[in-house]
Amino acid sequence: MKEGRETTGGIEYVVGAEKGIREIVRDEDVMPLLESALSAGASRVEVTDSRGGTLWACGASSGNNDSATVERRPVFLEGEPAGSLVVEASPGSQLRLNDLAGLLCAALNKIITNSLKRMLTTEIHTSVVNRTYEELLETNKRLRASESRYRELAENLDRKVQERTEELKRMHTRLIQQEKAASIGLLAAGVAHEINNPIGFISSNLNTLKRYISRFTEMMDFYRAAIEEADKAGGGITEAACRKWSDLKLDFIVRDVEELISQSLDGAERVRKIVSDLKGFSHVDDSKEDIVDLNTEIERTFNVLVHEIPEDAEIVKEFGSLPGFLCNPAMICQVFLNIILNSLQARRQGLKLHVSTKHVDGNITVAFSDNGPGIPEEVRNRIFEPFFTTKDVGAGTGLGLTVTLDIVTAYGGDIEVTSCPGKGTTFVIRLPAERREHVKVR
Amino acid sequence: MIEFDRTEKRMVLKLVFYGPALSGKTTNLLRLHDLLSREGRGELMVLDTRDDRTIFFDLLPFFLVTPGGLKIKVKVYTVPGQVKHDATRKAVLQRADGVAFIADSRVSEVANNYSSFENLEKNLAFVGIDIERIPLVIQFNKRDLSDIVPEADIERVWRPTGIPVFMASALEGWGVVETFSRLVELTYDSIDGKCGLSEGYGLDREDFVGRLTKRVQGS
Ligand SMILES: Nc1ncnc2c1ncn2[C@@H]1O[C@H](COP(=O)(O)OP(=O)(O)OP(=O)(O)O)[C@@H](O)[C@H]1O
Ligand SMILES: Nc1nc2c(ncn2[C@@H]2O[C@H](COP(=O)(O)OP(=O)(O)O)[C@@H](O)[C@H]2O)c(=O)[nH]1
Ligand SMILES: [Mg+2]
Ligand SMILES: [Mg+2]
Repeated sequence: MKEGRETTGGIEYVVGAEKGIREIVRDEDVMPLLESALSAGASRVEVTDSRGGTLWACGASSGNNDSATVERRPVFLEGEPAGSLVVEASPGSQLRLNDLAGLLCAALNKIITNSLKRMLTTEIHTSVVNRTYEELLETNKRLRASESRYRELAENLDRKVQERTEELKRMHTRLIQQEKAASIGLLAAGVAHEINNPIGFISSNLNTLKRYISRFTEMMDFYRAAIEEADKAGGGITEAACRKWSDLKLDFIVRDVEELISQSLDGAERVRKIVSDLKGFSHVDDSKEDIVDLNTEIERTFNVLVHEIPEDAEIVKEFGSLPGFLCNPAMICQVFLNIILNSLQARRQGLKLHVSTKHVDGNITVAFSDNGPGIPEEVRNRIFEPFFTTKDVGAGTGLGLTVTLDIVTAYGGDIEVTSCPGKGTTFVIRLPAERREHVKVR
Repeated sequence: MIEFDRTEKRMVLKLVFYGPALSGKTTNLLRLHDLLSREGRGELMVLDTRDDRTIFFDLLPFFLVTPGGLKIKVKVYTVPGQVKHDATRKAVLQRADGVAFIADSRVSEVANNYSSFENLEKNLAFVGIDIERIPLVIQFNKRDLSDIVPEADIERVWRPTGIPVFMASALEGWGVVETFSRLVELTYDSIDGKCGLSEGYGLDREDFVGRLTKRVQGS
């Protein structure tokens, strides 16, 4: 186990950390001393560590270990024996080895002590400087930490924005649904009115029929009684029967019954159709796809809108023959509805709406052309933006065309708008007849 | 602890004499050097480098080898008391095993003692040492002077802290070895628990304290 190596409190250098002599004393401090010993007559001088390993050496060993020719002196580091100074003289030399060794030892210890002081001072100095450096590092680290916090924050922000966007999208979808619901509500009012009409004449017709039937019954009763009478008295039936026939105005009734029944059947058919159209709209969440004829869907949409269309509006339909189109019918009706509604809202009186469909080069195009006020140049590229509306608060949500474009884009199509202010607006919806890839539309 | 190497059987401890400027820390070490036996202690190194005022401390090392062969070196340092040497104080305090706080008993120095002690608390925390755990003794020095805070007052203030308090005159040489002895005792207790001095190395408390505070014959 070794302690004392790691740092604490940001200070690198530990005052008091153990150092070897070699770490403290420089060669250029020791070597001149050893060399001077050689020139003074020693044959070899060596400084060893506490284990006897050579730290510095100078001269050639005589191989002799005679105590008379070898002197050892302790070397101290921080007052502790840290090694030895070994001085050798060649045998027979006149050198006063003892004196030389003593002198050398004192000098060496002085060098070591001074080096240690220098070292301690410089190391602490460095550590003091280091501390400032450490502080800088600390500050740096803190900055980095806070930077990473910011990055984290930024990442979070990104996620937050994404979450928010998701939420907005969900809200958007909800709004669209609400808008659909609202238009359905609006339509339902119209539809209710529409249903009332056929139902009204169906029931009045049926009442009339009931009365008529009672006359038929009366006539039948008359025949039965007259035949019984004629059997007893013999004769006069035809005349009396004709009188009764005309009294009951059965000539008229027979004609009218036919009319009533065909009218009622017609009315019932209208009710059935309206109800089925309404169904097509109310199943907005129903994402069931079906192959439909877009012409039929446009008709269906107009049927639902019947109540919204002013009396004097002139609607011209010019339908080409179209291939079956795979889509969610409710969605595609929503597209037509939004565009038709915009036209209906753009001009109340004298509206002319021209609708044409075509199948060209694998594309189905549906064009709606009105004679409304047109869309000013400066807002034309904004009309598809969510919530962009020029209508009064409460009148438009500005989502109609957004939803429309969303749906058309999802089917791989696009919408082209041309508008001539003062003259009218044309929306051309282009849909690829064959869907390239199967996209699931909400 | 500066170092504890079980394989090399080496341990290096650090004791620090802390306190305000001129309270007598250096004088304490000088006295210890004079009073304690040469055997087992090194030479006093006084590092008052006049040309570099940021560096200012003294070192008195002690050595001993336990019966179990563990070589222990105890390095006793003083810190510079001057406010501006805070960095050096932190460097010296780092990894300390014990602290002797040398206060100046003179009435005029009360505030200095306090702020220095606060500084000690702050710097111990800075180098990651828990003041509640580190062996700590307090010495009120310069008791030979007349304008000093009465001992009873000192007792009243410091007794509740539980920190051992010593009266001394480093100048006259009394109370110094007592202060050091107590610090060494407390240090032994804290080291023994961590490193198993008695169990692993056959060094008991009396032995440790005795060797580090063995007086010069006749003193
Ligand atoms: N046929 C059109 N003639 C004139 N302006 C139109 C026509 N169609 C769309 N616009 C303009 O485009 C805007 C956006 O239409 P969009 O259908 O997206 O929203 P809106 O009709 O205002 O509201 P919402 O359809 O949500 O009730 C309208 O406010 C209108 O200014
Ligand atoms: N009267 C008196 N003076 C002392 C005592 N101890 C130290 N001094 C003096 O206070 C001064 C500062 O002492 P020194 O040991 O250098 O203080 P340090 O800054 O804490 O190291 C010196 O002049 C000392 O002689 C003491 O016990 N009594
Ligand atoms: Mg709209
Ligand atoms: Mg001093």
